[in-house]
Amino acid sequence: MQTLNRRKFLSLTAAAAGAAALPPQSRAVGARVVVLGGGFGGASVARYLRMWNPGVAVTLVEPNATHVSCILSNLVVTGLLSMNRINLSYTALRNNRGVQVVQGRALGIDTGGNRVTVSTANGNVTLGYDHLVVAPGIDFVPPPGNWNPSLTPHAWQAGPQTTLLRNQLATLGNNDRFVMTIPKSPYRCPPGPYERACMVADYLKRKGRTGATVTVLDANPSIQAEPEAFTRAFNVTHAGRILYVPNAVVQSVDSASRSIVTSAMSVSNAKVLNIIPAHRAGAIGASLGVNAGGFVPVDPLTYAVSGVANVHVIGDACAVPASDGKAVPKSGHMANSEAKVCADAILRALNGEQPDTNIATSSACYSPITSRSASWLSANFIYGDIYDANGGIKGKGMHRVDLGEAPAGEVNQDSYQDMFTWADSLFYDSFA
Amino acid sequence: MRYTPRTQALRSALAASIALTVIGAAHAAPPAGRLLAAQCAQCHDLDGNGRGFEELAGESASEIYHELVEMKNRTRIESIMDRQARGYTDAQMRALAAYLASLPGGGD
Repeated sequence: MQTLNRRKFLSLTAAAAGAAALPPQSRAVGARVVVLGGGFGGASVARYLRMWNPGVAVTLVEPNATHVSCILSNLVVTGLLSMNRINLSYTALRNNRGVQVVQGRALGIDTGGNRVTVSTANGNVTLGYDHLVVAPGIDFVPPPGNWNPSLTPHAWQAGPQTTLLRNQLATLGNNDRFVMTIPKSPYRCPPGPYERACMVADYLKRKGRTGATVTVLDANPSIQAEPEAFTRAFNVTHAGRILYVPNAVVQSVDSASRSIVTSAMSVSNAKVLNIIPAHRAGAIGASLGVNAGGFVPVDPLTYAVSGVANVHVIGDACAVPASDGKAVPKSGHMANSEAKVCADAILRALNGEQPDTNIATSSACYSPITSRSASWLSANFIYGDIYDANGGIKGKGMHRVDLGEAPAGEVNQDSYQDMFTWADSLFYDSFA
Repeated sequence: MRYTPRTQALRSALAASIALTVIGAAHAAPPAGRLLAAQCAQCHDLDGNGRGFEELAGESASEIYHELVEMKNRTRIESIMDRQARGYTDAQMRALAAYLASLPGGGD
């Protein structure tokens, strides 16, 4: 067991930042922040802490050597982009921002002792912290039956699963069936599954697979995001290639035979069975305590976990208080947005200040409908009163003040190009 | 890594903008509008490297504020920013515009 001591830590980060850049009066100087998880949320909080106060020592702990983006990954599944295009390195965070990146897996949080134990290739390491940000993303709740993701991939955490689904899709011939499931909300990237259905249908058309179809088994009663764009896509653009089945709650999966039983429809021996199971907070986040839905409730001003001093959870793993029916979406863009609020709150706390209450968060994304056109989705939240289903105030949180999708005329090639501008910019703002 | 700044000159420019930000942050409280303006950075370049959609740094506070008001009030939605502008109060738009106008940068 080795401990990265504070002096060594400071010398590393000071060297990276340039000691002259340290703010002389800030009480935050020398503070240690540990971030668990290097997805969009974890990378962004590390980046912004260092940008806003290079005197703070930030250690980012991530099991993988690089992050593979879920954003744009449906274009990899369908052969339009290479894996390399969505492979995001931590080099810039390390070299340009002075973030100490530790490749390892957090084993446990000692919330009383303010330290984390991390398993690395060189053995276990203990990292002490003044603030801890936990951004582990999602884990899956295994569906009933014999589910094996190496036979029936989810491809809902990008990486080897993306490659596996791409390779399985390539085996689809004429009259074959691609079957996919969508879990009940909340799940990561609300438009993502519908986007995938569209892009697989587009792939089948491009490849001339006559009679091959996509069956979408949605546990929800209706399309969960961009309903106008995806209804039009299913009924017009991809008419005859997509069968959309709502209220299809998974009852049993048999991955070996690629068969599934749901409350609305059963399919035996699909050529490809893409099971996206229900989600819960990643395990290290869940260890801090979860709500009935499996996510970690947080304070919307700081992303702090109630009753756990100086520990914050951001991104897909957290549950932000919101108005009924107007949940904060789980997305890379939103995780980046939350990371900035969290970073600002941590820097204020280190200086003995109260968190900012004049805050806003947002999500924006582009969803490809075909290999030449995309739609978009926008959601905005402001801190303040939040409401129950009857319009009564139920407390404080992030109230959704606007939600909208691209009008029909904007689902076009320009939006398809804007998708790459958006993604590359978000990649930069999180990882560079 | 695709998103690494491509030249040493860019890195120097970045370092300079970070240093300026730090000097601004030397007092205890973060600059007003900084956090709100950071919510533009997912899609807009704030440090002069040319990524993203229209560069905002270098525009005047008045220009940015009035563009936001125009987009927020547009009844026939044309772009994603017509929606995003609806996500901010008038006071928030003034605060983030003032902060963005204080950043070094060329503008469009």
